[in-house]
This record gives sequence, C-alpha cells and structure tokens, in this order.
Amino acid sequence: MSQSFSSHTLRSSLRVAGPRKEIWIASLGCLLGSTLLLLAVQLYQDGNAFLKESEGPRNYFTLNKKIEGGAIVNLGKSDQSFDPAEIDRIKKLEGVRRVGGFTRNRFPLTLYIWPSGKVGLGAAAKTDLFFESIPDEFLDFVPEEWQWDDNSSTVPIMVPKFYLDLWNFGLAPSRVEYPALSTEAATGMPIELYIGKTGEVRLMGRFVAFSKRINSVLVPESFLKSANEKYGQADANDFFFLWKNGAIEGPPISRSSLASMEGEEGFDDWEVSPLENPAERAPASETLQGEAKPEEPSRIILEVADNPSDSFLALVRERGYEINREFPEQDLIKKAMLALFLGIGGIGALLSLLSIATFATSFRLVVTQASEQTGNLLLLGFSREEVGQVFLTRFLRLFLWVLGGAILAGYACKWILVEQALRFGVDLNPGVSLATLTFVSAYALLFLFVNKRVIKNSVEDLVP
Amino acid sequence: MIEFKKVIPAPIPEEMIEPSEIWNSELRLETGSLVLVSAHSGKGKSTLLHLLYGLRNDYEGEALADGESIRGKSRRDWETWRRRRVALLFQDLRLFPALSARENLELIPVANPRAPSHEEMADRLGMTSFLERPLASLSQGQRQRIALMRVLGKPFELLLLDEPFSHLDEENTRLACALVEEVTRANKAGLILTSLGETPPLPFERSLVL
Repeated sequence: MSQSFSSHTLRSSLRVAGPRKEIWIASLGCLLGSTLLLLAVQLYQDGNAFLKESEGPRNYFTLNKKIEGGAIVNLGKSDQSFDPAEIDRIKKLEGVRRVGGFTRNRFPLTLYIWPSGKVGLGAAAKTDLFFESIPDEFLDFVPEEWQWDDNSSTVPIMVPKFYLDLWNFGLAPSRVEYPALSTEAATGMPIELYIGKTGEVRLMGRFVAFSKRINSVLVPESFLKSANEKYGQADANDFFFLWKNGAIEGPPISRSSLASMEGEEGFDDWEVSPLENPAERAPASETLQGEAKPEEPSRIILEVADNPSDSFLALVRERGYEINREFPEQDLIKKAMLALFLGIGGIGALLSLLSIATFATSFRLVVTQASEQTGNLLLLGFSREEVGQVFLTRFLRLFLWVLGGAILAGYACKWILVEQALRFGVDLNPGVSLATLTFVSAYALLFLFVNKRVIKNSVEDLVP
Repeated sequence: MIEFKKVIPAPIPEEMIEPSEIWNSELRLETGSLVLVSAHSGKGKSTLLHLLYGLRNDYEGEALADGESIRGKSRRDWETWRRRRVALLFQDLRLFPALSARENLELIPVANPRAPSHEEMADRLGMTSFLERPLASLSQGQRQRIALMRVLGKPFELLLLDEPFSHLDEENTRLACALVEEVTRANKAGLILTSLGETPPLPFERSLVL
C-alpha cells in the first residue's frame, strides 16, 4: 500500500488564516529579542577579546612596606626594601603574572622647571625631587622619546597625569607667574636637573608622557643606572647607628661616613648597630670590613590577573604591606561590559520569552481554527505526527525567516558598532563568531521544541 | 469478526433497547459478510458505526474485534485501525470544501491497491466531468458519490457506510452499489451499511433492525 496524498494537498486542506495580528506581534518580538540576544552574546565576546588583545583583564598594583611612626623614628631609615626571597614568594602567589622592582636615584636631585618654555625666561618652579625607573613592560605605553644613552642631550621624564592636573588646578591658579599648561605645552617645558648636594652636575630634561598607571616620577632604566653609577652614593642604602661610650651618637651615618672616621681617636672602641635592630651592636672596624648591603627595591609593581587573589591579600595583611591599586580601568571596563551584556541580554531574553509564549498561543489558535479539518484528517487515518508536521512546517518557515532576519539585523548592528568603535581606536572583528551561532542554534532549538510540543498537544486532543 | 456482548450505548432510551436486534444482545458478524442495519432516525445507526470506529466509548457491555475488546485500544491502535483496517463513510461526508473533488479523493493516508483508479470510479459513477471542480460547487448527491469513492480508495477489512445513498436516485444507487460490492469483494472485506428502511441492491447476508 502506497502513500496517496501529496504534501501540498495536505497543507491546502489545513489552510486557515490564523490569528494574523498575534503572529505578527510574536514575529516582531522574536526578531527584536533574537537580535538583542545575539548582539549581547557577540559583544560580550568581542569585548573580552579586545581586552585580552590590548591590555587584557589585568590589574597593576604597587606594593611597599608600611611606613609607621613619626619623623624621629623614621630618621633612622629602617629597611623598607624587599629582599629576593620576598619577591620570589610574591611571584609565586596565585594570580600574580609579573613582578618588577622600582629602582630609585641614589643622589640628591633638584629640578628647575621653566613653564615659559625657555630657560631663564620668567619664573622657574624649583623642587627637590627623586627619580624612579621600572622595566618598560610595566609602563602603560612606551613613548618614542623613551630612550637614553650617554650621548643623549635630554633626559626623558614621565610623571603621573594627575601631577599635571595638580599643576593646572592647584598650583597655577594660586601663582600669577605659573601658567596653566596643556599636555603639549607641558611636554615642551625645558627642565634643568641639578645633581649632587651642591648641584654640581647639570643636565636637561623634558616631560615626554603622562602615565595613568604609575604613580611616580619615572626616567628610563638606562639613565638611572648610569646616573647612579656616576653620581650615586654607593652606600645610600647602608646606614648605621653609631655608638660611643654605650650611647647612640647623633643621627644614623652611612658606611662611607663611617669609613671617613676610621682614623679618629677612639675609633677602635666605637660600635655600630643596624637600624632595624639597634641592640645588635658590633665593633665599627669589623662592620667596615664586612660587605656592603646590596641595593634592593623598596617598591615593587605587580601585574595580576583580574582582581588580587585571596592568597595575595592574605600575604599583604600578614606582612603589613601597603597595596596601591592604580587605575583599575580594565576592571571598570569589564564591569561595564558585563552590565551591558546583562542589560541587552536580559531585555533580549525577556522579549524572546514573550515571543515564545505569543508564538505558542498563536499556533494553538491556528490549530483550533483548523480543528474541523484536522479532526477530519485524523478520522481518515492520518497520524497525529503527519498532521502536526503541517503546522510545524508552517511555524518553522516563519521562524526561520525571523531568525534569519535577526542574524542579518544583528550583523548589521555589529557592523555599525564596529565602524563607531574604529573612531575611538577600538578595532573589533566585524563578523559573528561560531560561539554566537552555536548559541543562536541552541536558542532556535529551544524555540522549536516549545512550539512543537504545543502543536503536538493541540492536535492530540482533537480526536479520541 | 465483530462481536457485541450486551452492548447498550449511553444515550439510547430504555424503550428503544428492547426491540433492537443489536443493542443488549449477543451478536456475531462474520468476517467478509455484508450486513444491512436498518432503522428509523434516532435509533442509533450512526452510534453503532461510530462505536466501531473508536469515536465513542460511552457504552455498557463489550464490543470485540477479532476476539479483543475495542475499549482497550490505544490512540495509536485506533490510528492504525482507521488507516488500514476500517473505512467509514460519515453521514455528513466530512469532505474538504476548499479542495477540488480530485484533491479530496487523493487526500487519504494510504491508497487501496485493490480499488479501481479515481478516473474509473468517477466514470462508473458519472463523476468524470466533476473531478477538477471545487467541492463547494458540487451538489449534495455529487458530494456523496465523491465521499463514497474516497472511502473505497482507502484500504479496509471492514467497510462502514452510514446512509450512503440518501441523496442518490435509483440509477445512481444501483451504480454505486455495484462499485461497493466489487471493491468489498476484491478486499475480501465485510460491510455494515445503515439505511432508513430501504434496501439497496446489494447481496446482504444479514439484515438487522435496530
């Protein structure tokens, strides 16, 4: 026995107008909801990929040991540096990607900044200052001028962006001789650097960039290394308490100062003790014969994945470190992106759910309106699957159009967003990813499953 | 083989049950037999056929097909029953007015290989020129012949015809009966035909009064 009917005739027998208005509303809701869902999923991926490619979801922190007590206590210059074992321990903590030490200058430094743009013209801002350097990979960007060698005539300097803000909105308005400065004007200012206690060495410098990440006055590592070698006090980090006749004599003195006293009367009876443990006295002559304390960073910069891990924070608490979380832009962007994703995705999901419900109701109505014809077909011996398939095909045809429209609309919106993002220097992939298409397929299957079930149940009950 | 054991349909009044040869009695209808069931309106002719077609379950007693109670059939069983074993011509025909006569004939799930072609049946019943016409444009008699052709075009072991010639004249009834007998015999099938009292020209083996 062979199949007699044609699918066309079967479809024709069940052709009813259906609730057109409801189906239109459901289609429109489905189109909007699907487009928003698709966009939310795609933009979330794009945002993550962009952050990973450019800066990545990383955060930077500087870490130092806490300075406690007043000026008198700290005149002793107790040791605040990180030894290699401490740095190694920090490197191994969960989430820590890289660790870099700050190198500081070991010589007195005075700056004369000429806001007029010319040395000797107008008033100069004079300040005693310090320099630090960090490995270039920790900078938020490396300016072209960020190079120095012995033949360079100018020392490039990078200061925090908010220093310029402090100048413009704090210092300049309070002093008639200091003008407000744009970034361009600030980078054009000549800066005289006087090195040494009496300013015996004079170099020229210039601000080349303003960092949003590093809260310090930075110069290239090559310059600081060379300057420390040439002008630095070798023992700038190596101080002692000097003991004479069982009592501390004056403020702490450096190893070189101690060496210069070696010939003085009674030197052999003098004692010295380390700043961190004044009770641990030793003869001054023995200490001079020992090795000088190696140079170690007192501040370190860390790159961590996302937010600091619990183990990292536990160590900070345990050791009494101070954490200086600088400009967590990535974190903010990530949160904003998540909020955007949840917002768009939430509205899209709500619209989609409503459209699923409207579609289901509409197709239940379609089956009801064709109930007489459907019942007659079942009485002729057609199976419920054969009859249900007619309604399902009708639904599928409409749904695929809507879904195709949503993919096109999503693609078009993405294209427009990509064009807009390019204006802000953000380069996004214009396409729709495989993951998004997989999500859309899963979503389509859910939509299909719900409506197939509704149609099946509606057909089921028409004939015993 | 169909058996009725004290079957009493729910809506039948008490006074109609007593004189009936079918209700509340023991009855066996052999496979391949041609049976005429006649009664006045409202006596339960359609009820009898609908009961055998699985459309009603509101009866007392037991109806059996091939020794098994039809009350226990599942939806899937009834689907197969209607698709391959039993064909019913409804009194109200249940055609599709939006389709043409030919499309109505074609709209059956499975074709009966022992039935003549649509063209031949249409020719024998004088319906050839109406095949391509929309059903809505046909008269009631013409529709009745289309419905008869459709039911014969389905495979069946038992053919149920509910007042099938009510809108046909004598000549057309004769032609239709000849076709019914031929196809029923070809299928080695049984027939239960209901009428209001008249006896169509068919070699019935049994005649029952409801």
